[in-house]
Amino acid sequence: MSAASTASQPAVQRLPLPLALDRVNREIEAGKLDAAAALLASELAAASPHPHAVHLSGILAWRRGNVADAAALMERSIALAPEIALYPRNICEVYRALGRYNAALHSALRAVAMARADPLAHANLAVVHYDRGETAEALAAAERAISLAPNLPMAHLGRAEALLLAGDFAAGLEEYEYRLRVSGGRRDMPPEETPAWNGQPLESGTLLLIADQGIGDVIQFSRYVPWAAARAARLVMASGPEKRPIVAQFPEVSEIRPRWQDFPDFAAWCPLAGLPRLAATRVDSIPAPVPYLRADRSRIARWECRLAQLAPAGMRRIGLVWAGRPEHSSDRKRSLPLAALAPLVALRGLCFLSLQKGEAAGQIGENFERAPLINLGPEIADFDDTMAILECLERTVTVDTAVAHLAGAMAKPAMLLLPHAPDWRWLREGNDSPWYPTLSLFRQSAPGQWGPVITDVAAALAAPHPR
Amino acid sequence: MADPSLCACGSGLRRVRCCALDLATLSPRDAIAPLQTLMEQAESAADRDNAAAIAFCSQVLELAPGHEQALGLLYRLRKAEPRPAAAEALIRRLVAINPNSFWATNELALLLLGKGRLGEAELHARNAVRIAPRNPQAHNLMGLILTEGNRPQFGEFHYRRALALLEAPDAILLANLAGNLKAQGRMTEARGCYRQSVAAKPNVPETLLGWARMEEAGRDFPAALALLDRAEIIAPDNPSVRLARAVLYARRSEFHTALSVLDGMAQGQVGSLLGPTELSERGRLLDRMGRHEEAFAAFIAGKQRLRELSGRTYLADEAASLAASLKNFFTERRLSGLPRAGVRSDVAQPIFILGFPRSGTTLVEQTLSAHPEIAAGDELPLIHDIVAILPRLLASPLTYPDALAELWMADHREDLDSLRDHYLARVRQFGVAGPDARWFTDKMPLNEMHLGLIGLLFPAAPLIHVLRHPLDVVLSVFSNHLTHGFYCAAELETIATHYVLVMNLVRHYRVQMTLRYLPLRYEDLVADQEGSVRLMLAFIGAPFDVRCLQFHENRRYARTASYAQVTEALYGRSCYRYRRYLKELAPVLPILAPWIERLGYRIEQDAAPAGRSSAARGK
Repeated sequence: MSAASTASQPAVQRLPLPLALDRVNREIEAGKLDAAAALLASELAAASPHPHAVHLSGILAWRRGNVADAAALMERSIALAPEIALYPRNICEVYRALGRYNAALHSALRAVAMARADPLAHANLAVVHYDRGETAEALAAAERAISLAPNLPMAHLGRAEALLLAGDFAAGLEEYEYRLRVSGGRRDMPPEETPAWNGQPLESGTLLLIADQGIGDVIQFSRYVPWAAARAARLVMASGPEKRPIVAQFPEVSEIRPRWQDFPDFAAWCPLAGLPRLAATRVDSIPAPVPYLRADRSRIARWECRLAQLAPAGMRRIGLVWAGRPEHSSDRKRSLPLAALAPLVALRGLCFLSLQKGEAAGQIGENFERAPLINLGPEIADFDDTMAILECLERTVTVDTAVAHLAGAMAKPAMLLLPHAPDWRWLREGNDSPWYPTLSLFRQSAPGQWGPVITDVAAALAAPHPR
Repeated sequence: MADPSLCACGSGLRRVRCCALDLATLSPRDAIAPLQTLMEQAESAADRDNAAAIAFCSQVLELAPGHEQALGLLYRLRKAEPRPAAAEALIRRLVAINPNSFWATNELALLLLGKGRLGEAELHARNAVRIAPRNPQAHNLMGLILTEGNRPQFGEFHYRRALALLEAPDAILLANLAGNLKAQGRMTEARGCYRQSVAAKPNVPETLLGWARMEEAGRDFPAALALLDRAEIIAPDNPSVRLARAVLYARRSEFHTALSVLDGMAQGQVGSLLGPTELSERGRLLDRMGRHEEAFAAFIAGKQRLRELSGRTYLADEAASLAASLKNFFTERRLSGLPRAGVRSDVAQPIFILGFPRSGTTLVEQTLSAHPEIAAGDELPLIHDIVAILPRLLASPLTYPDALAELWMADHREDLDSLRDHYLARVRQFGVAGPDARWFTDKMPLNEMHLGLIGLLFPAAPLIHVLRHPLDVVLSVFSNHLTHGFYCAAELETIATHYVLVMNLVRHYRVQMTLRYLPLRYEDLVADQEGSVRLMLAFIGAPFDVRCLQFHENRRYARTASYAQVTEALYGRSCYRYRRYLKELAPVLPILAPWIERLGYRIEQDAAPAGRSSAARGK
């Protein structure tokens, strides 16, 4: 909820609040949620609690992950003080997280109507339009925000995502650079005074690439490593241990260390996600040299042996992933409950092999559908294991997670279930992806509507030659 | 000042001379010799005046509380009264004072066997064999206990050893051996033994009864009835014979006749009070007749009577403690460093049929074992055996499951292979799998408690978890007498409590471990038999075989309470039986509701007339 949380502080400070509420706000921003809750308790105990105390308690609930409570509290604050524009602006993010897109739009429009000069209100509106699949409206709202605050990073990022989703990579990738300017965007990056690479050949010295953003981004953009290596005398990579099995696959990378600070001397640096812009990538020129990631042979042998123990010989092996990391800002729209996949696991002759990791894997314990569903998660130690397993499957059914990228990068068949407004890289239309030729895309026709998507996937799986 | 209070066990001795006795304070044997006169008076009185004999014994034991002869006599007298608690306390003390007394050890083992405490009984029976390896009764005792403890193959060895030690064939031993062979499904041999036994001693009602039950299980109802007629002539008041007759009538769907037999017993023609088994059988008969309120009342009475007789109640704390230890040990993080046993390719492999008792595990085993490549292992006690011996085999100071922590040590990395081989060696000794079998089943109920251990020992074994509407499961367990699951079957609520405990544990294992697990609904098996059979066989990796659809023609004898059901073609009357008992099941609805929902079942009133055979899925 970057819009609400980052937006709330300046707006709150502008309000003539009692000192206590100001302190609450500061504690929330500092992440001291228990302290904030303790301070708020006395304010809320009053016979007529101040609307801002109620609203802050909503923000507190949001920060604690109690989204439904957050909505209820913020609604109460709006009822108490309908004239404050900050409240509908903040609640639209909460509604968005709850998948209540109509309510989110209503609140975002109301916030804009109440504060036409507030760039954050327009930026929020852009995000809501994006999630409703209204790309043109999202673009227009983002541009209105930019016109009011030309250097507002989240507005530029909103514009970037709308442009990229629409396939305008030329403008979109430029705007996408604003991702480094949003709060925390430069975390794990060298300081601004160090030389950023401009894509031109480096005559001498070392080019440092940084495996930035999520694992899916690293998988997707690591395809550019050979392109970058061809333009530098020496190429090194800063990458955390989780991403190492991916980046270590490129012989062009001379050395991998965990952090950029571990390389004392480099001529220029570039995050992996910045390479498509430098390579002037357009929709019709996306390099897709799949497979560009391969599983380790000894791991394949080990997993082939293990899967022969676990999956009946006569059954088709289908991988399954239904949820991403819950901390991801769009996780609620991209993930689904395992129970929603019941039409798939009712199919005969199929053995599902769960590659799901994390909290969502717990849903396996309550799955009693007819088809076997083998929980491989506990024996998956790292992405080397995941790659080896993908090598042993007929195909994988997955939501938008790293596994989808992995299957695509390995040129393995995968069915990708996408929300109505997907991440920009999956574009707005089409049932295939220029990034990954072996992926089949199954898109929601309306926000939150997984039923028809799963019916289509089930039909495709049941077909003699699934696409 | 002396403590005058009498012992609570009912022995009639002072507490400090009975259950609170410190054995270290006992006098040496020579010192108590002067009491011999009193003891002779006690023995002499025992034949004609039990009260006097008890008084003499009490005098002796007041002066010498470790006097073996007095303890033995008082035990016999209290047992005859009957005062079971006092008898047990006295015989236990006698065994503790003189562990080499064969007579006392034999008595204690028999007493424990009678109470269904098989594990403890086996300890003493083994001691009896150690004390007197050439004593036929020692081997008879081992035969009894091993047969009762689902290891009839080993029981047979001891019966045959006992017969060999006797100079002439013994009719009772032959009858015991016949019962053992019946448990192994070797009906022809069993019939031969019964014939020999009856020829040697024609008028033993228990022998005729055992033989009749075998013929009934084998569906030869006329032969069974003829044997029961003979037994009843010898023992017209024997309730077991009458019960067997009622069961036989019920199997022939002559419910009214069956009921009249039981009611005749209750009205004093045979005995004044029906036992727990008779009461539950009565309930099941009434259920089949559509008299559901009366049926449930009979089930309640059966449970109550059993509690009165056995004193058994659910061991809730033990069950919860074990479940907590298992959840604590079997976590993804801990397991990531543990080895797994290798998979043997030279012997038949196990298929674990898991499920709460009365879920349909017998039906699934009967179905699968109709396949030429799958042998029926029945309720193999081997996982429980491994649980018991595991700390010793791993040389661990800890108990199960924490003892598995030894597997982190270099010198124990291959110990799971040894445990696996122990299991497979026992299976071979049991003669479970013939030469053509590629798989064998193990359907010990509640093996799912140990799913983690099974996953470590047999990482490739198919785990088929038979599920059924939880209310049907609870109702069915309530209408039977089972000792599985920490005696949870004692009361309605404790059955439900244990069901939830086990299902929570299964959920834990499935999340924390990679298991070859297949849930199979009993209701699906009824509604779509072929589809379910094809799914199971495909999951196992066996080719489809049409014989599995005619499981009721499988002549294999199923030992469990389901034996009669699995000899009928698939029927739907056991699906959603709970609907007719919703009012009576009200106390367990809140306990079971979360799992009913998770399993995708609903709670519905019965809209159909009683006795319908619809197998419609109630999901």
